[in-house]
Amino acid sequence: MERAIQQSCFDCILRPDRLFCDLPAQALEAFDSIKSLAVYPRGTTLFEEGRSARGIFVLCEGRAKLSVCSENGKRLTLRIAGPGEVLGLSASLSGGPYEVTAETLDNAKVAVVRRKELLKFLRTHREACLQVVHLLSQDLHTAYDRVRSIGLVRTRRPRASRIH
Amino acid sequence: MLSPYGLDIIESCLTCKMRVDRIFCDLNTAALQAFETIKYATAYPKGAVLFVEGQAPRGIFVLCKGRVKLSICATDGKTLILKIAEPGEVLGLSATVSGKPYELTAETIDPCQVNFVKREDFLRFLKDNSDACFKVAEQLSDKYNNACHEVRNLGLSHSAGEKLAKLLVEWSSRNGESAKVEPRVKLALTHEEIAQMIGTSRETVTRLFADLKKRQIVQSKGSTLLIRNKAALKALATNT
Repeated sequence: MERAIQQSCFDCILRPDRLFCDLPAQALEAFDSIKSLAVYPRGTTLFEEGRSARGIFVLCEGRAKLSVCSENGKRLTLRIAGPGEVLGLSASLSGGPYEVTAETLDNAKVAVVRRKELLKFLRTHREACLQVVHLLSQDLHTAYDRVRSIGLVRTRRPRASRIH
Repeated sequence: MLSPYGLDIIESCLTCKMRVDRIFCDLNTAALQAFETIKYATAYPKGAVLFVEGQAPRGIFVLCKGRVKLSICATDGKTLILKIAEPGEVLGLSATVSGKPYELTAETIDPCQVNFVKREDFLRFLKDNSDACFKVAEQLSDKYNNACHEVRNLGLSHSAGEKLAKLLVEWSSRNGESAKVEPRVKLALTHEEIAQMIGTSRETVTRLFADLKKRQIVQSKGSTLLIRNKAALKALATNT
């Protein structure tokens, strides 16, 4: 079903429940002016691992799959990002390439902010910068959980346990 | 002046000469002065545990001198080393910000100087200093990048040989060695610790090193490893 694109973040009723979006009015106004809204069909690659970071993608609606890839093309899903999440944040901040590939799993509504404008926005709005620090901490917790599950659980079981 | 563990302790961040080269420390004067009032400069011997995975976050540890081993542990006691932190890094950052337990265990592998800041003080400091807040975001981005790299290495490498080759290629690209035909790698870790970095056993690492030496890909001189065949090592690392 087609839905009208909500132009302003002020009109979004989901805003108070979302960590990044719940900004003070002044910061929200500034964010509104630098974001551009887009609707991407399912299966769209928002950004690709290894490509230099162009900016962030705030998932307003829909989900996206985050994955990493080996040199041989073997792919590993890191996690599924849900509405309210900010994708491409760490690469946009560090200026390095995107660490993961993000692909939409549903028809997704996304607010895109270019890197240069994001950095200026974060430097002038302390609250937004604090939210970003919180978001990055959460991302890091999730990444470490993934490291733990891959590195420590996927080990060869002792022979004795296989006999029973 | 006599200092503990042979360390030359830097008392004040304002007079630290290394500050400009370090992401977090290169703050503006006002932020630096505020940081100076909340930090505690401490010295630790080799083998000291700064914090343990699962422990409630007490605060951050800015590593001024020395190196720290960051590891995670499974319930059966198996350890995986995630990274060897170098001077300038801030440890315990995401746990301190989020209030969740520390995700890693940090243990010094050299005598270290560490500046500790209590959680409440640090959160207040971040709220008041946008420059510091931005630097913390940059540090977190760097750590996230490293964690993704780790996931890729652990989850997508086929064999222990491939993982060891990747690690050696990574180490040989540091300290200006990458341009050399035969780069040198200073092995600061034991075979046991290298095994913990790539998620395998000590015996496998010893066997793999013996195999690399036999194939004349590497040559060891004391604790220094000479990469004699860079192309072959890279081929092993990419499984081609």
